[in-house]
Amino acid sequence: MTAQTPTLTAEPLDTYTLNMGPQHPSTHGVLRLVLTLRGEKLVHVDPVIGYGHRGHEKMAENRTYAQFLPNTSRQDYLSGVIYNNAWCEAVEKLAGIAVPERALVARVILAEFNRLASHLMWIGAYLLDLGGWTPQLYTWDDREAILFLLESVTGSRLTYCTGRFGGLSRDLDADFPARARVVLKKLKDRWQEYEDLVEGNVIFVQRTRGVGIFTKEQCQSYGVTGSSLRAAGVAYDVRKVEPYGAYPRFQFDIPTRPESDAFARYWVRVQEMKQSVRIIEQALEQLPDGPILTERGLGSKKRLKLPVGTQYYAVEAARGAYGILLVSEGGTEPYRAKFRVPSYANLAVMQDVMPGYMVADLVGILGSIDVIIPEIDR
Amino acid sequence: MAAPAELVRLLDERGWTAEPPTAHPLSGVSESRWVLPAHLVAAARALKEAGYFYESLTCVDRLDPHGAFELVLTFARWDAPARIGVRVWTPKDEPVPSLAGVFGIAEWNEREAWELFGVEFSDHPKLRWLLLPDGTEFRPLLKSFTAPPPSIYDDSLTAPASPDDRTDPDTHG
Repeated sequence: MTAQTPTLTAEPLDTYTLNMGPQHPSTHGVLRLVLTLRGEKLVHVDPVIGYGHRGHEKMAENRTYAQFLPNTSRQDYLSGVIYNNAWCEAVEKLAGIAVPERALVARVILAEFNRLASHLMWIGAYLLDLGGWTPQLYTWDDREAILFLLESVTGSRLTYCTGRFGGLSRDLDADFPARARVVLKKLKDRWQEYEDLVEGNVIFVQRTRGVGIFTKEQCQSYGVTGSSLRAAGVAYDVRKVEPYGAYPRFQFDIPTRPESDAFARYWVRVQEMKQSVRIIEQALEQLPDGPILTERGLGSKKRLKLPVGTQYYAVEAARGAYGILLVSEGGTEPYRAKFRVPSYANLAVMQDVMPGYMVADLVGILGSIDVIIPEIDR
Repeated sequence: MAAPAELVRLLDERGWTAEPPTAHPLSGVSESRWVLPAHLVAAARALKEAGYFYESLTCVDRLDPHGAFELVLTFARWDAPARIGVRVWTPKDEPVPSLAGVFGIAEWNEREAWELFGVEFSDHPKLRWLLLPDGTEFRPLLKSFTAPPPSIYDDSLTAPASPDDRTDPDTHG
């Protein structure tokens, strides 16, 4: 009896498959990347998503418009205020509810603080991905100051739910502008420190320059938005292109950079933080007096009925264009709600961008798009 | 730059658009048209050439009264507040041509519409599950779907195989 022994082929191994995730620390959520490698070079990248699918779109069909409010900030948990406001504004638009001036400006203040907190979190996490531990201590310190501020208004630190149809559930208290200015001063004093600590760091520069370049064709084909698109030289920002809420009354610029590499994405986000500070300063200056919730009290109405129709509503979230498509059949619950999340397109484009780079660059590229998996999985 | 009104007129002139099958209004877009499934790829290509990007795809269950699905696609551009809504009416079990060859992101959006509603897309490179576990047989976003079947990962409802498998609480103090 002859033993069955496996025979080794003389052919060299061409490519091999490597699983990254689903719980790899640098994937920023439960994401799996199936990598095909030739040596250390990426040949094919297949993102596998859906590990955190909770069925937000089905949940929306099974509860009233107001009952769905807490779900919104659980999609992108780092910019919950923006998502919460977007849901309110989409419903207000379809229902024709007017929002008091004070609430419009207060929404901008809270949203921009949330954008700052989200970007700071990203900077810390991204530099940690690249092996730099110290910057995270700085960004978390700054973010903590913002979270205390947001907590004093909303009562939450992460999953904010102060938006109501027709305004906000809580008003900014009398000393809020003073406390906010202290935080803004703290942030403004930091910019130079970040620049010295990060942009002057040779390891950071060498690991991010010329890495993960998106072409404009790829951006158009996948619908890439947000800082990733602005770092590719396209000045697209929903706050400017389709101004909503109180944004038209504030002066701010859209920072862009032509290189489209990971460094450009870092730089654009830092500049955006400066613009957010600029917006908040103007908004605090112009904050009008008056009610924070519409007089008619539709915001607290439990069984709000919307007219028949489909509404598309877009805002600029921390990661790009966030869209809500709301279908109403006249009932107290949405007939259908679809969420166009920015990370979805920003991650999908990786299939086209990553091949050709080394496996060591992968974490640097994936981190640079600031991906939030729970909003992709919904 | 082609203005949205000009662009949709072009789609009309080429005979790619259809009469609305329902009066349900769509707002939040500059222009919208019902496009015939047979001309969807050509219409998408025209939009891409005019500088639009594929923003979103939403499938709406219109099975109960109409026996069809409504697909709402939105296309937007970077330099102007121009959004074009493309609506497609597709009877159940009739495949829709895939846009994956025109826009990269269409691949994922169509996989989602397929797994959540059961809409078939012809010429799709990889019509597989995206958000749901591979092999999922139910379509959770259909209106007819109400209760989730028991999960293959959840054994909390499974009874122990035999009484002997159970640990006796007395022996463990």
